Parts: sequence; C-alpha cells; structure tokens
Amino acid sequence: MKLNIEGLLVYFPYDYIYPEQYSYMLELKRTLDAKGHGVLEMPSGTGKTISLLSLIVAYQKAYPLEVTKLVYCSRTVPEIEKVVEELRKLMDYYAKQTGAKNDFLALALSSRKNLCIHPEVSSLRFGKEVDGKCHSLTASYIRAQHHSNPSQPVCQFYEQFDAVGRQVPIPPGIYNLDDLKDFGRRKGWCPYFLARYAILHANIVVYSYHYLLDPKIADLVSKELTKKSVVVFDEAHNIDNVCIDSMSVNITRRTLDRCQTNVETLQNTISRIKETDAAKLREEYRRLVEGLKEANVARETDMYLSNPVLPDEILQEAVPGSIRTAEHFVGFIKRFLEYLKARLRIHHVVQESAPQFLKDIYEKVCIDRKPLRFCAERLRSLLRTLEIADIADFSAITLISHFATLVSTYSKGFTIIIEPFEDRTPTIANPVLHFSCMDPSIAIKPVFGRFQSVIITSGTLSPLDIYPRILDFHPVTTASFTMTLARTCLCPLIVGRGNDQVAMTSKFETREDFAVIRNYGNLLLEMSAIVPDGIVAFFTSYIYMENIVASWYEQGILENIQRNKLIFIETQDAAETSMALEKYQEACENGRGAILLSVARGKVSEGIDFVHHFGRAVIMFGVPYVYTQSRILKARLEYLRDQFQIRENDFLTFDAMRHAAQCVGRAIRGKTDYGLMIFADKRYARADKRGKLPRWIQEHLTDGSLNLTIDETVQLAKHFLRQMAQPFRQEDQLGLSLLTLEQLQSEDMLQKIAQIAQQA
Amino acid sequence: MDEEPERAKRWEGGYERTWEVLKEDESGSLKATVEDILFQAKRKRVFEGHGQVRLGMMRHLFVIIDSSRSMEDQDLKPNRLTSTLKLMEFFVEEYFDQNPISQIGIITTKNKRAEKLTDLAGNPKKHLAALKKAVDSTCVGEPSLYNSLNCVALPSGTDIKEILVIFSSLTTCDPANIYELIKTLNALKIRVSVIGLSAEVRVCTILTRETGGSYNVILDESHFKELLMLHVKPPPASSSSECSLIRMGFPQHVIASMSDQDAKPSFSMLHLDSTGEPGLTLGGYYCPQCRAKYTELPVECKVCGLTLVSAPHLARSFHHLFPLEAFQETPLEEYEGERFCETCQGELKDKCVFTCLACKKVFCVECDLFIHDTLHCCPGCMQTDRTS
Repeated sequence: MKLNIEGLLVYFPYDYIYPEQYSYMLELKRTLDAKGHGVLEMPSGTGKTISLLSLIVAYQKAYPLEVTKLVYCSRTVPEIEKVVEELRKLMDYYAKQTGAKNDFLALALSSRKNLCIHPEVSSLRFGKEVDGKCHSLTASYIRAQHHSNPSQPVCQFYEQFDAVGRQVPIPPGIYNLDDLKDFGRRKGWCPYFLARYAILHANIVVYSYHYLLDPKIADLVSKELTKKSVVVFDEAHNIDNVCIDSMSVNITRRTLDRCQTNVETLQNTISRIKETDAAKLREEYRRLVEGLKEANVARETDMYLSNPVLPDEILQEAVPGSIRTAEHFVGFIKRFLEYLKARLRIHHVVQESAPQFLKDIYEKVCIDRKPLRFCAERLRSLLRTLEIADIADFSAITLISHFATLVSTYSKGFTIIIEPFEDRTPTIANPVLHFSCMDPSIAIKPVFGRFQSVIITSGTLSPLDIYPRILDFHPVTTASFTMTLARTCLCPLIVGRGNDQVAMTSKFETREDFAVIRNYGNLLLEMSAIVPDGIVAFFTSYIYMENIVASWYEQGILENIQRNKLIFIETQDAAETSMALEKYQEACENGRGAILLSVARGKVSEGIDFVHHFGRAVIMFGVPYVYTQSRILKARLEYLRDQFQIRENDFLTFDAMRHAAQCVGRAIRGKTDYGLMIFADKRYARADKRGKLPRWIQEHLTDGSLNLTIDETVQLAKHFLRQMAQPFRQEDQLGLSLLTLEQLQSEDMLQKIAQIAQQA
Repeated sequence: MDEEPERAKRWEGGYERTWEVLKEDESGSLKATVEDILFQAKRKRVFEGHGQVRLGMMRHLFVIIDSSRSMEDQDLKPNRLTSTLKLMEFFVEEYFDQNPISQIGIITTKNKRAEKLTDLAGNPKKHLAALKKAVDSTCVGEPSLYNSLNCVALPSGTDIKEILVIFSSLTTCDPANIYELIKTLNALKIRVSVIGLSAEVRVCTILTRETGGSYNVILDESHFKELLMLHVKPPPASSSSECSLIRMGFPQHVIASMSDQDAKPSFSMLHLDSTGEPGLTLGGYYCPQCRAKYTELPVECKVCGLTLVSAPHLARSFHHLFPLEAFQETPLEEYEGERFCETCQGELKDKCVFTCLACKKVFCVECDLFIHDTLHCCPGCMQTDRTS
C-alpha cells in the first residue's frame, strides 16, 4: 500500500499494516527531518525492520541529496540475511508499482569466512584461519613477488577483481551474501573485496555492528562512508557492551608467552634480512622519519593490525627516534614485555588508572609515553617491511601493541586491573591483566559525530533515557511503542511465593535455601504439567543453574518433571548447546514436549527465537543481576556514578531488567503468537523493577498478576492457555491491530495511533 | 441434580468483571442489560446453514478417548474422565439419534498403548454399557496418539472416514514418527478432529490441519458439550467421494406371544459374540435375506452382511439433507400482529420474535430453539400443508 507519512510518499509492500508501524514511521520521519539521532523501542514481531526500510528508502528516493546512504547494522549473519530479504520484497514492490527499473544498490557485507569463494581458503573452518590464508595470498608484496616469481601462489579471484573490478561498478540490485558469491563466481572476482569496494557507492549496506564500532575494523571498512548516511543499529539493547568489548584488552600469561615467541621470530627475521637486504630496513627508517602519514597510505589488503582510535594528529607526526630502527623497536617491545611479566607476578589484586600505570612504567623501565603511543603503528609498519605473510600467528604481539597504544592515548575512561587468580579458584594462580574500557561512548562517539542520523532501536530499550546518558549523545526523538493487540496474547505473571508461602527469590542470602529451591522446582513441575509443547527456563548464571538442578535431582523433582516433558540444558559448549536446541525443537514438534534450561546472558537468551509452540512459556528464575563482585564491574559502576551521575543500583537494575525482558521476549515473536511470561522472584513486583520493563510488557501486568503463589499461577496460566487456544483468524485482528489503507485513514484511528508512541 | 451443564465454579474461573458488562439504561435500571445477557445466552446457537452440499450420511466414526494420568485432573467435575465419559454417553445417544444408519467405535489410550473399548457397531446400547464400565478404570501413564491412530487406520478394508480424538494430555508417547502416520491418514482420506481438554498442542494442530479436521480446546464443561455436539452433524462429504448405492434390509418385527403355539424361543444372532448371558426371546427382526434373527436395529447382519434398518431410522437422517431454514428475527417493537407464539400459545415477551419464512407464523425464542434443534420441521408449515 502507499502511505502518506507527513507528506512523504512511502511504499509499503504489504496489504495490511499494524498501527504501531505507522506510528513508528512517523517518529522516524521526524528524526530524519531533524537530522538528529533517535532511540525507538518497539516490540519484536511487529515489523520493525520493514517499517525502517520502507521509510528510509522512501526518504532516500524523495530527498536524494539529504540522505545518500543507509547503513543497517545487525548482530548476526541470519539477521543480516533476513533484513536483505525484507529489502528485496520492498524493492520488488517498488518495481511493480512504479514500473521503473530498480536503480538501488543494496548489499550485505560479512567476514571473509562467509564470503570467500577461493576453493582452498573457503574450506578452512575458523574465521581467523581464513583471514590469515587470504592475507597470505593477497598482500601487496606477495603480489609483487608473484610478478617476479610466478610460482608464488596468489588468489586469482582477487587478481581478477583488482584488474577490472574497480572500473566496472556492480549493477544495481539487492545482494545478500549468496548473491554476492554467485556474482563473484560468474565474474571470477573476489566477492569480499568487491563488497568492500562497493559499499562506498551502495545505497544500502547491511552489516554487523563491528564494522562500525570496533575501531580496528571500522577504520578499514567504514572509513569512507559519507556523512549524509543514516545509521541504524537494530537489536541495540546491548550496544554499550559491544562498545566496551571492542575497546578492552585482556592479557594473560599465555598471551605474554606467545608474545615472547613472536618477538623472537621478529628478531631472527630482522637479523636475517639485515644480512641479505639491509636496504629494505634503511628504506623503512627513512619512511618513518618522514612520518606515518605516508606509511598510512591505505593498501586495503595489508591488514596487519588496524588502528585503534588514534587521534589524527598522531598520524601526522613522525615516529619518535627511540623506536625507529627495527632492532630498537624490538628491544623496546622486549622491555615492555618484561615489565608486563613482572606486573603479572603478583599475589594481590592491583587496580590503577592509565596515568598511574604510565608513571610506574616510566619509573621502572624508563619507557616514555610517546613511543608507547606509536607502538601499534610501528609494529604494523615493521610487519609489512619484514613481509611476514601469516599474520594469524602474530595476534599476541598485536594485542600487546594495541594495549600500549590505548593505555598511552586515553587517560580517562579506562582502568587497569591485575588479578592474580580467578575468584572461583583462589588457589590456582592465573594472573590476568584487564585493560577495561568503562565508557561505551568512546567507541561510539565517532559514529555519532560523523553521521547525520543514528537510530538505535530494539524490542527492549527501557528505560529509554538511560541509553543517551551512557552513550553520551542527544537524541531528537526517544519513543516507546506498544503492541496493539486484538487479543491479549502475552501473559506476564510475577510469582513471589510458593504454596507454603515461602518467598521465592534468587537473592544472595536465600538462594541456597532449601525451601526456595524446592519452590522453584515445584513451579517448574506444575508448569510442565499444564503448558503444552515447549517451556524455556532461564537461570541467573551457570553456577546457579548447576546447583539448583543438582538439588532438584536429589529431591526427585527432576524425575517428576521428566514424566511430563524432556529436559535439555544449555552449557557453555556451543556445539553441545546447539545439539540440545535441535533436540528440544524436535521434541516440541512431535508432541513429546520439552523444557530447555538455559542462562540469561547466554547464547540462547540473545539469539534464539522460540516462536509458537517452541516457547509457550518462559520462566525467569530470579533476577539476572550481573555478577556484582567482579572488579571490572565495580570500576565501571564507579565511573558511571562519577561521570554520568547514574547510581550503581539504577544501572544494575537496568541491566538486569533488560536481560530479563530479552529472555521473556523470546516467546512472543508476533501477533499470532502467544506465550506466558513468568517472573519467578518476588523482587519483580517492586515498582523500581517493574517500571524498568518495556512498556509493552508492563501494560499487561495488572495488580492481579503480582506476587502470586504457585497455585494461583497455575490457575491463571490454565485459563490463559485455554483462551488462547480458541480459534483466531485474521479477520479478528482487522481494524484493531491490523489495518487496511482505508481504516488507517479514518479519523479516530489516527487519534488512536497518536497514543501508541510514548515519548520518553 | 439438574440437567443444566454446570459451569465452572466461580472461584475456579477467571477473574470476571461482571459489573463492567452491566450498563444502566436511562431510568437507571439494570434490568435491560441483564435480560439482554440472558437472551444472548439462549440464542447462542450455530447457524451454519449448509446450503446445498453433499453430506456423508453413512458415517463410520472412531472416538479415541485419552485416559492417561492427566484425565484425573479435577478441573472438570468430578474429574476429567468421569465428565468426559458422561458427555460421551450423551454424545453416543445423540449421534445415533441424528445418524441412525451410522456406526461408531471407541478406543481408549493409556500407558503408551491403545485399547479398543468397543468395535465399530451401529447399536448404541453396547457402547453405552462399555462407557459406563470405563468410569471405574484407572488413569495411568501417557497416551499414545500414534498407537491409537494406527489402531484405527491399520485394518484396511474398513471404510473409516472420521476419527475424533478427545485429548487431555499435553504429551504423546509415540513409537515412531507421527508425521509419517499423518501422511498415511491423509492418503486414506481420514478426517481427524481433536478436542483438547487442556491447551493447544502442536502435533494436534498439524494432525487436524493436514487431515482437514477441526481442532478445538474446551473452556469449561458446557463448552466441551457444545464442541462435542458439533461432531454430531455429519460433515460435508468431500467432492471426490463417489455416490454409492447401499443394499439395505428393512426387516419386519415379528411379534409372537407366549400363547402362540407355533412360536419357539430363539437366540438373537447378536448374542453370538457377546459375553452377556444369552436371552431366549420369542419375537424379533428377521433378516429378509437369510432369516437370521436380531432383537435390535440397526445392525449389520452377522450372516450375510446386509445392513438392517427400520424405515423410521432412515427417515430421521433425512432432515440433514433439508435442514430447516433459520427463522427471521425481528425485534418485538417492530412486530405488528398477535402477540402469541404459534406453538406454545404463550405471550411473546422476549425482545425478538421469530417468523418462519415459508408460512409466516410467529414463534418465541424457546420454541424457535426447540423447532430447530429437535423437531427439524416447522409446525406452522406442517399445518398449512395438511389443510391445503
């Protein structure tokens, strides 16, 4: 249907539209008009993706000079593929309606592992191996050697692409990863480099967060994106953690050991080259004197290590004299390494800031701040000069050099924590140096600064005001949308007590309590008897799950549950978990029924959807607080309090509730779906917790569903499940939660729609 | 106890905001809305006029009753099993009342296996007796959908076309992949319908969708009864099924009295395989083809396989083919004429009156229901037919 969104003609590829989609597009349009950033929360399964795409594409077509590019960031490869499919639908609709040929270029980009078509390289299993192998075939000096020595193997696909691929632009169309590969095979061009080149002039790019947020990759891939782009972060509820992870470095003794070997290899290579080709090293020295700018001429394949956010002025400067020659630099790294080793040889926990660390290193081994800052750049240059093909081996020394650069560049927002052992195993020495980023805004700042509109959207972003604060930006729109429903298809229940009136909670003091564990077991047992097909249960942590399951086994509860349903458990092993998931789905499919025990913040809670019968009920045992004793977290909380005036408790609750909402949200993936959401902890009933749930869940939490006993829960659940099993057709939705064009244009519907969006 | 099906107890049902449904009229009285609610309840009837479709009149229905552990649940009173069996008795009676030339068979499933309670037969008495006896059986283990469906589908040659599953459990314990069996059922053109007692189970959804049956889940006991009654009416026959002629015998009932010297007491052929004590009787129905004797109709002759029915039986199936059209509903205020119901002669007090489209006679709500549900013909039209 064709919609008129405040004067903008939007083609929407479906015959019906949800009222909240219309509302969402309105808000989005206003954000784009204002050329500002936006935070939008809309429940999953209400067609966020297609609303985003339809509006932004329409905007691009209407104002080609205002918005030139859409950069859509998603989390996983399947999600990326889904977005491309929606886009294809939209473009087909455009072609059908307007009759014009599609002149849009949209493509997905992923790692080499997903895009490589080289027969040998693509057969490797791990991403790192593929990258390393690819590099050893496509690096510039390898190709130079190939000229003089044709027996040196190169990748013919890259050669082809390099020869002609850049002159001929890729024809307009929608390309997902497979389409790119097909295209590459047909032309004999490398799809990965083709895609990386093509994103510069593509209208729509769909790729992973990391291509924008991780400074090491962003610098390579996304550097040249125009300012007039709209950037969308979908499923962005964890965006702060992604930012932090991309800037943090962990160094263990193993890393140092491997680094040591790296250094030795470097040293040997240097001395060998010195004998054979001293001119080369001299040439490098000359280059370094002239400054890094020239060295930084981007040769896209020379990806030794990319640049952590280096302020531009550093690149203009010359490398300091103390590390200019190769031997000196290796000596320098050696000294640094010895220092780190010494620091790791401790018996108590040390926490210090970056300036403290710099001061200490200066006093102990006389390493200055300035050379440290150039460490990453210098290593990059050295590795290129030495023509070391397989960079995969040098990850350890790369990591160390990153650390050196980061620690000397940022004096604020980072902390260094050295722990001699893990908390769980205080007897086993396993020293770790955490260089931890505490400020997610550091990584995302360039994104907000560079692009005119950045949209952060997800199903669970409540409370909305906290994201702008921790990411340090000023959105022009923040809005939360509810799900309009023809029938109440979600049923959140807060269970606070067992039948014996003992409070149920995963609070630290009572979590080992026998009665609490028994009550949790009874709850699961009762639910397994009345909920059909699949139940997903989430625990707060792996250890807690292990303890509870062990104790259920002793009490015989597990046996009783197994009479009703099969039990599957998520473990830390990815292969094991995916096996369990597969079997779980099979059991749900053939009527056996199953329970999946998993962990909040685990793989299952984030990426796996449990549509329809795969998840008729989600039980959240306890409040999934992050492990509060961890020093990194403590440091981060302190930083948040000092810098952003966010109280510790507020942040912890916010973090726990967003994960709880993520977990329970797994069950509802659309309006025809239905599911129970059971929060098994009495603390959920408190206003400060309840108020932080997304609005579309809160809306259905009545006073009657707070602090229930197990019996009451069973009654309510039974009633709900029977109600939901009654036939439900599309006609029932029509006019209420599903609109045709005429219905949409009626006056009172427009009024209703105005109420859907709640500005934060 | 009264015959009205008991609704779930107030405290068991959901939290109803009954006061929100009520609205005051202009004078501040609640009476109007209360009457409206009662009226709606009375009129809650399915008006799905089939129109001109072919119905499968000779039905062969197998009912599979889940009697696993979950049937002991007490959300139906006194428990699911007893309640189900009671409703089943009612269903069997109603079924034979409406489909006199059809047959039914009952299977129970528990403890992972299926058991035939009664074989396919056209006589309600045997089924009722078996159902009464089944009340005392214990409910153990899990049901097996596969085994029970297999139990029906396996014996080839019988032309079973319908299966009704009453499924209480949420799980099924199957020895093999049930989706294969669903394909077989589909190929055999067997319609499987399911009535769920607890919640929607995926495998049942697929089963009914693939085989073209219906799937319903009960809300309470009265809803359960309603859903069961939906299965009393014969389903529309699929267009691919051929019209077939069926040989039938219409035996005469021979009445012999003790005083008659020629009469000799004899056994009914039905007693051949029944375990009950054989009774010697004097009169009976004699198969017109082989002279075997039966005491009850309808029955399939044990000797020559002829279907024996009585003419009134056949006649009763007739109304399905020509269902009485729904009466026209008009509000009382708009109706002008004598305010008396044609049949019960009572005063028309309800909000609406019902007019037969053919004879223009007027009826009250109660009589309208009675005419459509039980009589299946309009008394007004009958009268005019006779007089003309």
